[in-house]
Amino acid sequence: MNRRIRAFALVSLACFGLLLLQLGNLQVRQATALQHSKYQPSAYTGGPFEQPRGEIVSSDGVVLAESIPSTSDYRYFRHYPDGPLFAGITGYYDVTGSSAPYGMEAEYNHYLSPNTPVVHNLQGILTERTGTDSVEITVSAALQKVAAEALGSYRGAVVAIDPRTGAILAAYSSPTYNPNKLSSTDAKAVDDYYTSLNPDTGDSPLVNGVTAQRYPPGSTFKVITTSAIFDHEPSLETFVAPEASSISLPDTVLRLHNFGYETCGGGLAVDLAQSCDTAFAKIGLQLGAKRLYDEATSFGFNKVPPIDLPTDEVIPAVFPSTASFAGNIPGIAYSAIGQENVAETALQDALIASGIADKGTIMAPHFMSRVVDAAGNVVKRYTPHPWLEATSPTTAGEVRTLMLGVVTNGTASLVGFPPSLNVAAKTGTAQTPDSPCNDDWLIATAPAGPGETPTVAVAAVVVQPTGQCDGTGAAVAGPIVKTVLLAALGMGS
Amino acid sequence: MGLLAVGAIVVLSATLMASLATTDALPDHVIAFLAALVVIAVGVQVVNRWCVPHADPVIVPVALFLNGLGYVMIERGDPTRAGQQLAWTAIGLGLYTLVLVVIRRSRDLERYRYLLAGFAFLLLISPLLPGIGENINGARLWVHFSTIEFQPVEIAKLALVIFFASYFVDKRELLTIATRRFGNRLLPDVRALGPILVAGAMALLIIIAEHDIGFSLLLFAVFLVMLWMTTGRWSYVAIGVVVFVVATFAASHVLGQVNERITDWINPWAHASGTGYQPIQGELAFARGGLWGTGIGFGIAARVLPVSSSDFVFAVIGEELGLVGAAAVVCCYGIIVGAGLRAARRARSEFARLVAAGLTATLGIQAFLIMAGNTRLLPLTGVTLPFVSYGGSSLVANWVLLALLMRISHEGNQPVAVPAVPSWSSNDEATTTVAPVP
Repeated sequence: MNRRIRAFALVSLACFGLLLLQLGNLQVRQATALQHSKYQPSAYTGGPFEQPRGEIVSSDGVVLAESIPSTSDYRYFRHYPDGPLFAGITGYYDVTGSSAPYGMEAEYNHYLSPNTPVVHNLQGILTERTGTDSVEITVSAALQKVAAEALGSYRGAVVAIDPRTGAILAAYSSPTYNPNKLSSTDAKAVDDYYTSLNPDTGDSPLVNGVTAQRYPPGSTFKVITTSAIFDHEPSLETFVAPEASSISLPDTVLRLHNFGYETCGGGLAVDLAQSCDTAFAKIGLQLGAKRLYDEATSFGFNKVPPIDLPTDEVIPAVFPSTASFAGNIPGIAYSAIGQENVAETALQDALIASGIADKGTIMAPHFMSRVVDAAGNVVKRYTPHPWLEATSPTTAGEVRTLMLGVVTNGTASLVGFPPSLNVAAKTGTAQTPDSPCNDDWLIATAPAGPGETPTVAVAAVVVQPTGQCDGTGAAVAGPIVKTVLLAALGMGS
Repeated sequence: MGLLAVGAIVVLSATLMASLATTDALPDHVIAFLAALVVIAVGVQVVNRWCVPHADPVIVPVALFLNGLGYVMIERGDPTRAGQQLAWTAIGLGLYTLVLVVIRRSRDLERYRYLLAGFAFLLLISPLLPGIGENINGARLWVHFSTIEFQPVEIAKLALVIFFASYFVDKRELLTIATRRFGNRLLPDVRALGPILVAGAMALLIIIAEHDIGFSLLLFAVFLVMLWMTTGRWSYVAIGVVVFVVATFAASHVLGQVNERITDWINPWAHASGTGYQPIQGELAFARGGLWGTGIGFGIAARVLPVSSSDFVFAVIGEELGLVGAAAVVCCYGIIVGAGLRAARRARSEFARLVAAGLTATLGIQAFLIMAGNTRLLPLTGVTLPFVSYGGSSLVANWVLLALLMRISHEGNQPVAVPAVPSWSSNDEATTTVAPVP
């Protein structure tokens, strides 16, 4: 009988082994699929698509992201009504889980997904319940649309900020992508589309063109060079640059020449209005690398702006370290006019304009204005706070006055801002290291007249398409900024 | 003793975690609970040292651990039931002690075999008696005396195993040796097939009268295993399986419940919100648990699954403790079955051997049936998960079962002047030391 007892023991072992295999099958192999089953009880909140997520809503009440009941195995899928228009802001939430969430979807996932709110009082404990919250953002859907249409088919980015609060009013970049194709329940289609976006390349549409794409700032950087004069070397305020079309630089036979070999020079007001490269190169050499570096850093270069996007979607603007100029004195001259190794995001240039507009204070940029629960109670409200004290109110006032001159009798006069509106602006046309063409910039803020408080700052950067290399900041980026600025001020045509 | 301590610590921490997860506070009875665990562990150890010092030391700690885990899982879903479960554990352990004290020799049991058979029969039909019988969840398996509900079949299974063992050992030759010629084959006496037909009829009776497939399947399987162990004839198993399949097939056409269980096993998704709801919810609970589980107290199966504290307690464990915890529970049963079969191998008499093997098979098959039913490896049958599921009769019966197993284990391991344990290489049948009782 003992032989048969042993046989029975082996059969038992096999049965329990089978049980373990089936457990592995259910709990590991098929776990994800079963977790997403629509037959999961409604109490189950473990799967990302078992309950509707909260909405993302624009400042003018347009729903930018919503959950829609699905007939597939997933109970809900994410829908972005304006898809590509807001992709850089909303990001997307991948149902299939093959890629991590992006943008607001990731940043505010805690509120958008079912969550249990922090209890504030005794009654809260008794009525505690899990729900999703909606995130309201500062971006206006109408202005975003204007920005996208103004940028048109160009590759580039437009940002509009309220300098008083740091609220982003519009943030659009091109090329963009369709987040709906990444939140589809068809895993294969999602994967194909994701791959087609070349996610691993630096210029993939998935890379946020506003916050994670750097361009040489060109002459818009002269705002910082000018500010450095007032902050660090007031003696240069009265510096008069000799009229020249090119100048020699130390340690090199190469000459630095003006855009289009124009001849320019004069006092600071003229130099900034004309965007005189030779004059600013001389100013930069007299300021020296350290002062330029300090000023750039105080305006936010080499720091990641604290905007509410996932950290890997925001990069800092860069200004080379003081030490790197040690054997490269000509580099100082080029850096002073926003060339050499200086590069910044569209967001950063808008923040510079915003700092000048807001008496030298750069408010922390942000998208979220408030988080509201299902019952309409405000769960979280954004409180504006400064990011940097970039410069003193005096300096900011001086620079702002000089920037008004750029519009009235300088390089931005061609843009055609209405004479009734006091616009402070700076153009930029920068040589790009890896493109035969320039990139064109314009930063502007208004109303910027004496005694006025600017309510909007706009930056636009456009990468000139190959074959159309003859543009300038004013000619290409100018109309875009004008359209967005006027629309933001309610003066749109 | 070390094993007992480990088990007690795991159960205590599990209780604390469950309480923290559900109410954000330590349970107010934590000191009492700790004291109870210590008392139980020490008490059981004392009883074992006193009554069965040579018995396998692994069995009881593992069973206590399962008992404790079950308590925690039940407390999660239904605190009232948890209190009752605690009371039943105490009664179970009391009876465990009583059995060890009263039944000093396993062969004492043999004397009462017809008494036990009659007792089992009474128990089996008792749910059908008017006045005390009761329908619960579509099966008429319960009797109740005032407020106490009882599933007599749990106790009957023990009496039947003892009866079968005694009867088979007695009639072994008759059952084994072929005497009748059928065509060119020799078959055992046809009259010896009588018991199979009786058992088959009994199983059918239970299915039809009490609307339950789980226990009839369990009893029938145990019967076949014991018959096969006695005789070594596969023909009995084959005939038995055929009988059961035919009976089930017939039953599935007559009884809605059986038919339902089978179709829902094959494809529950076809009736996902209807009759397939339960099996699907079981599977989904396991999936929610994943590899590591949601953590004790963080699962939802205890709330959303019907009969989560009895039929689906394994799914609750799978959700909250994950693959790791569920596999640990499976291994616990593996350990008990292994220890039980080892006790059977070392048993001093053929009768004790068969009783130990039969009791172990009962526990193992029952655990397998319900765990396989939860994971949809087999159709769902409403048997309890031994020691873990809520249910007084189940708990008490399984503790008594362990007491008998411990007794036989003790006898087998007891040092004697002449070693009676047959070696593995020798022919088992030839070295049997105790002659069958005439």
